[in-house]
Amino acid sequence: MSARNPKDNDPVLPAVEERVVERELVGAEAALGETFAVPIGPIHPALKEPIRLTFRVRGERIVGVDIRTGFAHRGIEFMGMRQGRNLIQILYLAERICGICSVSHPIAFTQAVERAAGIEVPPRAQYIRVIISELERIHSHLLWAGVAAHELGFDTLLHLTWRVREKVLDVLEELSGNRIDYAIPIFGGVRRDIAPEQYPKVWEAIRYYRGLLEQLLDAFLRDPTVEARTRGVGVLEPKEAEELCAVGPTARASGLRKDVRQDRPYLAYPDFQVRAITPEDYGLTPVGDVYDKIVVRLLEVEQSLNIIEQALENMPEGEITSFPKIPALLAYLKKAEGEGLGWHEAPRGEVIHYVRLAAGEESLLVWKVKAPTYSNLLSWYPMFEDQEIADIPIIAASIDPCICCMDRVYLVRGGKEEVWPKEKLLKLSWEKTRRMQR
Amino acid sequence: MSGWAILGQAVLALVGGGIVGLLYRGLDRKIAARMQARLGPPLRQPFLDLGKLLAKETVIPKTAVAWVFSAMPFVAAIASFTALLYLPWGPFGPILEGHGDALLVLYLLAVPALAMALGGFASGSPLGVVGAQRELVMLVSYEFPLAVVLVALAWRLSTLGIAPAFSLGQMARYPLWGVVGPLGLIGLVVLLVSLLVVTPAELAKIPFDIPEAETEIAGGLFVEYSGTYLALFYLADAVRTVVMAGLVVALFVPYGIAQPLGLAGAAAQAVDLLFWLAKVFGVMAAAVTTVRVGMARLKVDQIARGFWWRVTAVALSGLLLLALDKVVSG
Amino acid sequence: MILKTLVAQLISRPATNRFPVKYMPKSVTRFLAQVQEGKAKIHPPVPVPPKFRGKIAYDREKCIGCQLCIRVCPAKVIEFKPEVKKIRMYVARCTFCAQCVDACPVDALSLSPDFLLASTDRLAPELIVE
Repeated sequence: MSARNPKDNDPVLPAVEERVVERELVGAEAALGETFAVPIGPIHPALKEPIRLTFRVRGERIVGVDIRTGFAHRGIEFMGMRQGRNLIQILYLAERICGICSVSHPIAFTQAVERAAGIEVPPRAQYIRVIISELERIHSHLLWAGVAAHELGFDTLLHLTWRVREKVLDVLEELSGNRIDYAIPIFGGVRRDIAPEQYPKVWEAIRYYRGLLEQLLDAFLRDPTVEARTRGVGVLEPKEAEELCAVGPTARASGLRKDVRQDRPYLAYPDFQVRAITPEDYGLTPVGDVYDKIVVRLLEVEQSLNIIEQALENMPEGEITSFPKIPALLAYLKKAEGEGLGWHEAPRGEVIHYVRLAAGEESLLVWKVKAPTYSNLLSWYPMFEDQEIADIPIIAASIDPCICCMDRVYLVRGGKEEVWPKEKLLKLSWEKTRRMQR
Repeated sequence: MSGWAILGQAVLALVGGGIVGLLYRGLDRKIAARMQARLGPPLRQPFLDLGKLLAKETVIPKTAVAWVFSAMPFVAAIASFTALLYLPWGPFGPILEGHGDALLVLYLLAVPALAMALGGFASGSPLGVVGAQRELVMLVSYEFPLAVVLVALAWRLSTLGIAPAFSLGQMARYPLWGVVGPLGLIGLVVLLVSLLVVTPAELAKIPFDIPEAETEIAGGLFVEYSGTYLALFYLADAVRTVVMAGLVVALFVPYGIAQPLGLAGAAAQAVDLLFWLAKVFGVMAAAVTTVRVGMARLKVDQIARGFWWRVTAVALSGLLLLALDKVVSG
Repeated sequence: MILKTLVAQLISRPATNRFPVKYMPKSVTRFLAQVQEGKAKIHPPVPVPPKFRGKIAYDREKCIGCQLCIRVCPAKVIEFKPEVKKIRMYVARCTFCAQCVDACPVDALSLSPDFLLASTDRLAPELIVE
């Protein structure tokens, strides 16, 4: 099936056979067949973000799934590359890649730029970044737990977790001035210090969550209906998790001790001896099902509390930024040259930012963002295999997908979807590398 | 009773049943909200919802089998409202007593479920089809324990020489709690428990709301329904809640408080009617509201394979205990 | 046990924030008019912390027209008025990062706790600071 448009004589694109995917049958006519297609998305109550999943279903059993992304591609990387923005403006673009991980992306991004430009971060600033990012992890995991409960039809737990989540948002608002999009990291440090009178509020929140943890564990892990719905559902075998490069809680629930904070410590993380959490820490043999993912996330809330406690106790004194004056920072960044990689363990998994700076250029030469969902999306395939329609929402939610963060372009030519095979993408990437090296 | 009197009572029962149904839906939502530490909607919200739905455009999808799709909401609503006429209203017996027995009520409760399933199949949406399949699986699963409970009570009543035993009115008039021996008491409790478990399933509420399952199949059966048709299903559901709770009350707690209080005449009837309403509310709050906020949604195979044979077994053991009690105590 | 939680929450006060009113009034405009006249009452919003980042406040007198804020603003909120060497800000575009506040060399910009900024008109007078 060659559907090559003669007008597309782009010399960069090598002539590789293109496959046009035909639309799946949907509706009553399809229902009469042996298997039928159940379309989920791009708009569906179970999905919080646009993605299209077309399930081939026999009765209630899923026999196949087709994942289509590209409904919310925002071109943020493009906006950051030579589009007339300076690095400070791009920092806030990075912050808006994800609303939930809204400090994870800036932390990874600032690290990348700091490595490229050779900027040192004062220890106190590193501690503040760690505290904010761990507070964010608490709020993200509680948010996820509520969504998961809602997908199971257990709205009481949704309201319970989201109500207790307000506390950590209040603390973040107290520290940063906003409930989300904290705008805390900046190249060379952080923008706001934690004042002495703010410590008691953070401590109070820590005590609040310590007291609640048992209730949450009880409500989620010892509830018979939750257990019935999550045990053995959406299993991701450790081998599959490794092969598909799953990251974050998705990989850890399968028993892989994989955590960037442990494997490649950065900022102040070496001081806290972070150890990746797996269900074994709760006395369970890791299966990789949804239940294990709940276990891992709830235990990580406790881990984050421990890290924040240690950070508050051992907080070093000193400067919070090596560039107190913005014009000096802008001037330094304009002169800087080089490439850098920044990483951070976001609540959903590892996020990586790659940047390349050029002297005399205010903007970025190259910016590549890898959001955790990008790594985790493929693990949906084994997880959906041979499950039921009823399990779709909770399995989809179990990797804590952030579709917009990872969205990639989606090719439609002449009203038809186009799929580019691996070879073509490989050639494209060679071309791109050559262009970049020029 | 003259035909006109019956007609008048019937109109009262139908209108009253609709109002009570919607009011109780409001209470149900309010209590559920409070249990979840929310404020919840105002009590009159179901009335507003109904009014809004009636004012909205009714869309019939192109892929639907139009006449089945349009007929089913009416079938569901009519069957649910008809069941009201066979329900003992506290001090008042069923309005159509003698024109149909308890088995008819059973069917009238099953008809809306069937109508919803047919409507789902006819809607031409794969989600509707999945919902309809689930509804049918549920119907097969919960009708049997429900029938066992009714048969057990009617059989025990007939052994007392009461005829016709298979009538809700008679069952409500002669409660069995004082008649049976200790084994029979256990049997009755067991039957009550199985009936209470069946109640949320009959009404398709969490954990048994799989035919609708908002997060899974986006409303399932109702996915294509809108406007007046959806309003009719909404009303049918509200009325069915009253009927089902009223059934539990009629079978197991038909007692009034007017007699012990020494009231008589119209005052006694009013007090008993209010007490009946309170009992219906109690059953609803316990078996529907609390259950639906305290549980996650189950899956269809968990319900069909893992759960219902247990409920059926419990109901059958209740029947067996009643029979044993009869043999032992004679 | 979830039942314990349910009973406890049933008898305790709901956690819902009642701002601005418990239930939607029948007519919002009439209700707002009543509030203006003092006949109706609005539940107060949750108080904001001291360093809250709300609507930007601008001290015209202090401003020296250096345009540094315009350089760092990621949302292109700020417009320069060359004839008077002052700035104008369109709050409807603002992302509340407060980078301009950090950048300002003379502290002409600051943050106010004002956050009720919803409007149907992006160019409403209360959404333009100058």
